[in-house]
Order: sequence, then structure tokens, then C-alpha cells
Amino acid sequence: MLEFAVHFQSGLPAYEQVVYAVKKALVARVLKPGDMFPSVRKMSQELRINPNTAHKAVAALVAEGLLEVKPGLGTVVSAAPQATRKQRSQILGPEVERLVVEAKQLGLEADEIVEAVRSHWKRLR
Amino acid sequence: MSDVIETRNLSRRFGKKEAVHDLTIRVPEGRIFAFLGPNGAGKSTTIKLLMNILEPTAGEALVFGRDARQLGPADFQQIGYVAEDQAAPDSMTVQQFMDYVQPMYPTWDPAFCAGLLKQFDLPLDRKLKDLSRGMRMKAVLLSSLAYRPRLLVLDEPFTGLDPLVRDEFIRGILELTAQEHWTVFVSSHDIDEVERLADWVGIINDGRLMECESVESIQGRFRQIQFAVTDDAVLPGNLPPNWLLAEKEGRAVRFVESRYQEGRSEAAVLGVFPSCGEIGAAPMSLREIFLALARVYRFAAKEGRS
Repeated sequence: MLEFAVHFQSGLPAYEQVVYAVKKALVARVLKPGDMFPSVRKMSQELRINPNTAHKAVAALVAEGLLEVKPGLGTVVSAAPQATRKQRSQILGPEVERLVVEAKQLGLEADEIVEAVRSHWKRLR
Repeated sequence: MSDVIETRNLSRRFGKKEAVHDLTIRVPEGRIFAFLGPNGAGKSTTIKLLMNILEPTAGEALVFGRDARQLGPADFQQIGYVAEDQAAPDSMTVQQFMDYVQPMYPTWDPAFCAGLLKQFDLPLDRKLKDLSRGMRMKAVLLSSLAYRPRLLVLDEPFTGLDPLVRDEFIRGILELTAQEHWTVFVSSHDIDEVERLADWVGIINDGRLMECESVESIQGRFRQIQFAVTDDAVLPGNLPPNWLLAEKEGRAVRFVESRYQEGRSEAAVLGVFPSCGEIGAAPMSLREIFLALARVYRFAAKEGRS
């Protein structure tokens, strides 16, 4: 078993879906700084994905500073990233834009979105 | 990195029918290559050419860098090959089958074999002929995995397997990737099964290779595009060649973009339909891409005949 579940959706790059699932686990504190991260081999077998895909997901998470490779030990979850608030909000730019576009298309008002975001926020805390 | 499998303009003719035509593919080590195509497209013929069961009428098939026609017992000790309807000594029990196969392979790994037997939940004392199709396939796969082949070749392995067995089967294949040298070549018409297993796909249709690229690249460049137009808009006759299967129904226009680039593709739509509504670009599963391509090939074949 892995600490994070991936609900694969057809058509989207598998490694991006793994990266997202890991980020979700980090946010939900299922994975905490210092925790051992599963090996590429274990991820591949547990998720039934190509090992190169698993490797790519790990590489992307390392590049984002969310995981760290400790020689002789394996991959561990990094300490909370030291990015500035502005940097962090920039990371979410495209997602927020998509949310706003979808919401406008559905005819929702800004506070209704904020309310929906807030309820999800609570759920994941 | 050296190629484990390579074909160069490989062709095979049976009488008047050319089952494989001018096929050129390369499979480097450490790749799970899915060879996809409808029944009768030439998948099994290609595999038989690679496994020295058939000889090419033109071109070459190379395995481990050598002409497949020269593959001998020493090579096959490093290849795990499971044919579409793999023959097995049916009167043997699972245990007898393993004892029978083991001495043929110097690299047989008893611990790995024992682990797989447990993982596959195979009854050692049952005869192969008394096993269900799924169980029997698992026994055959196991006998091809336990010597840790450098190359695993599977011809339509998922046909007729129930979802649980398929899942165990995929896990078994992935066990192999933990070792130093491995490559998997798997043919299938069952695309959903290989979407996350394979990192590279070759699509063959009517003996010809239509696409050959990484799963990520093919999924990156295909999108289902949909948008609304005004009532009086018409679909022009000369659409860009990368717009596949374009159709208009009422106010909805839909096509498959085969060279999707965020922004640029939407701009191209606006170039043809300046007053169209919001342009949706949905990612497509490997199955959807495959089906779209199959329809494109069929249209092309019909036009070629008329």
C-alpha cells in the first residue's frame, strides 16, 4: 500500500496525476517532512504504472523541492518549502484561472466560489 | 543505449496478402512497448518474425542486435515469449511444469519463482488442463518470468482474462522491471490495459505502422476539440490536415486535433470560425485516440479504392 491514492483518469499524463496525488497527500499531512517516500519500484508495482512514469513523477517532485534524495537512504519528503507567499500563489495561477472560467460559465458569483473553496479547505485540514 | 528489438523495412507476404509491410521500429532497453492494432493487423506475424518462427520476405528483424533468423537456444534462454495460444504440457501439474521448465534456463531464480507462485495464487498440485484460462495463462507467464529474461514478448496476453487476473498479470510483468536488464514487447488490441503500463506505443493497421511514439507524446498532441458556431456557419471543404474527423451537428462542431498546441490550436479554430463560442479541448484516452485513428484509416482506405 502507498500513503497516497491515485485515481487515474484516462487521457491525462499518468505522471502528472501521480504528482498531484502526492501534493494532495502533503497538503493533507498524510505525508510529512522527513517521511520516507516509496521507491520507484514500489510505486510502479502498487499503481501498476510503467517504472519510467513513476521515475518521472519522483523527478518532478524533487525538482519542485517537495522530495529530497538522501544518498544511501532513499527519497524523503522535504521540509516545508521556503517559497515566498507570492511565489506560492503564482504556482496556482493557471488552476485559479480555470476555476474562475468554469465558475463564470456556470453563472456563479465570486463569493459562491470562495465559499466552495472554503468548504474544501476545511475538508482537507 | 542499444536497441533490444529493431526492424528495418520488415515485410512478410503470405501468397498475395502482405501481412506486414515495410515496418521499421526500434525498442531500446528498459521500455515497455505496446504494439497495438485491430485483429488481423499484422501484430502476431511481426512477433513471429522477431522470434524466428517466420522468415521475412523483405527487410530485417533484429533482436539483441542480431538477425532474428540466427537466434538460437542461448538467445531464447534470455527471452520470455508467450504466444497468443501458448501450448503447454497440459497433463502436468503446475509443480511438474515448473520442474520441467527450470533446467532449460540457467538463470532460473527459485526464490523469484516461489514469490510469483504465491503472488499468482497458483495451485501447485492441479493439472494445467484443469485450470481456468486465467490460471493457465498465469502459469505460462510465470514460467517465462522466473528465469528473469532480458526481453519479455507477450502476444495478446490479456485476451479473455478477468479484471483481477489481468491486474495480477500486469503486476507480474512489472516485477521484471526491478532487475538490471529488461525490456517488454506486448501486443494487444485491448488498449485500456496498456495505457499506464506502456511508455511507448506502435500502432499497426493493415500491416503498416501508423504511429510510433511515447504514450506521453501521443496523448499530448491529441485533443477532442468542440465549440459552438452560428446557425448559418458551414464546415469548409479544405480544413487543416491535422483536423481529423471534423463534423458539424446543429451548432456544434467537433474534430480531433492531432497536433495540439495550447493557444495555437485555439487560434487556428478562430481563424476558420471567427465568431465561434468557447473552444473546449479535452484530453483523450489511448482508446479514444486509437478509435479515432482507426476511423481515419478506414476513410483513407475507402477513398483509395474509389
